[in-house]
Amino acid sequence: MTITIRRGVSLYSFQQARFFGDMTLDDELAAVASFGATGVEIVDEMTLRYPDPGAAFVDHWHRRLAALGLTPVAMDVGMDVLQFRDHVMSHEECAERLRHDIRLARRLGFGVVRVLSVTPLDVMLRALPEAERQDIRLGREIHQPMTLEGPQVAEIIDWAEAQASDRLGIVPDLGIFQFRPSEAHLGWYRRKGAQEAACAAAIALSDLIRSGEAGSLFDMSRHTAGNVRADYRRFLTTGEAPEGLAPAFRAVKDWADRHVPAPQEVDYVVVGEALTFSNTRPETLRQIARHVTHVHGKFYEMSEIPGRPGQYHDASIDTEAAIGALKAGGFSGYVNSEYEGQRYYQDRTRAELMSEVEQVRRHQEMLARLIG
Amino acid sequence: MFERFFVREDSLRNVVKDGRVRGFCLAVKNANYRGVYLSLHNGYFLEVDGVNYPREAQSFAINGLPPRSFAEIARAVHEHWDYPDEGILHVACPGGLAPGRHRIRIQQSVLAAYGYRPTDEEWVRTPPVPGSGAGSDKAPDISEFMLELQGEEVVA
Repeated sequence: MTITIRRGVSLYSFQQARFFGDMTLDDELAAVASFGATGVEIVDEMTLRYPDPGAAFVDHWHRRLAALGLTPVAMDVGMDVLQFRDHVMSHEECAERLRHDIRLARRLGFGVVRVLSVTPLDVMLRALPEAERQDIRLGREIHQPMTLEGPQVAEIIDWAEAQASDRLGIVPDLGIFQFRPSEAHLGWYRRKGAQEAACAAAIALSDLIRSGEAGSLFDMSRHTAGNVRADYRRFLTTGEAPEGLAPAFRAVKDWADRHVPAPQEVDYVVVGEALTFSNTRPETLRQIARHVTHVHGKFYEMSEIPGRPGQYHDASIDTEAAIGALKAGGFSGYVNSEYEGQRYYQDRTRAELMSEVEQVRRHQEMLARLIG
Repeated sequence: MFERFFVREDSLRNVVKDGRVRGFCLAVKNANYRGVYLSLHNGYFLEVDGVNYPREAQSFAINGLPPRSFAEIARAVHEHWDYPDEGILHVACPGGLAPGRHRIRIQQSVLAAYGYRPTDEEWVRTPPVPGSGAGSDKAPDISEFMLELQGEEVVA
């Protein structure tokens, strides 16, 4: 089998342009093609009129992709379990929504539906017959602070190996190889009043956790980053935390108290960023590469590499190790740029916001160089 | 995310119905990166010139329909608020707002989340009160806008 890693772009990267109406779908697709990328990924509820984008849209979509030589790689779907408001959705109700999304993905030519990291295996299995009928693979995203070593990956691989099927797989989000807060995050917190000492304490705590010296106290791998942030914030105001998280939250607060003079809430919050890193191992990615449906090339800030004009990196994410592991593991498929740093500039004026197109262009430069 | 940008700055108007000023309205977008089923839209923390206007005084016009209360919005379980679409937040306030500039403090509550959460059952029984930080996903902060009243909107 020939190993070919291809470059794509998730249109999630252009969420800000989408919000402001600065780019149309056609503009976004043209930008993707201009980088020499060949794959496209979307978030259904961001890019489409949902649940039915309409026949005219579907027709236009296929024509634009064909004209630009782009391949629809994956559609990312959600799971809002309070939709019905009078009860929490059952697994069967979640599966019914997923079956719909599978059919929608097929209409749009995608081969993969990406489900959230927290989607129960039971929901995926309930939707599996529809995925088989529509010839869609289901990929469970593994997103920081989860790890590749945890149960969210193991149960998918156990199923795939027992069934000798690639119908279920893994979507590693390369944010799992982030090892310190990005400049985008730190700048955001500085503008909110965070002290330099708090930024330094966040980096020092990140390093300590990465070294393994802190043991499992800070293991957030069963949670999502958004939920950890929200829960930690709630802990800071109410002192309450979901079961099992309180000791880690208290330890982070203690760390801030010891390293930051007269810490304010924003100082505690920036130090809490250290809880959001996975500290997963590239070696694990190599081992599971054949179960990877495609990859989210997450990044927050592409800056020029010192002394290497025209070459870029995200200094907080070890993308190089991840791409190396994918190659060594024999992965064939798409790595899709997924920019998320724009949101950490949205406290500034319109004129000061980041250019998503430029950031993705830089990320594609890096991917092309690392893939080789 | 888009806390600073989700209210359209030239959208503040008094609302006139049957010849009387019943309240005011302003235009908003979803402050997240995606749309949602409309039922998940849970209302706003809203303060104008220091006066609080609770969810019960609010209604929301979207998808070409007249303003609906947030109790009605919660029942719109198969209707979607698509990401590009601006909605109009209506606020009951007899006499409306005075001409000139007004200090608006606002926060949007949309019960979007990543899968099951420990708060799910509680929020079915008692949805979070907007402004508490709970039930606001990617836009938890109260934003402040100084908006000039733009005149009147006449509704049927």
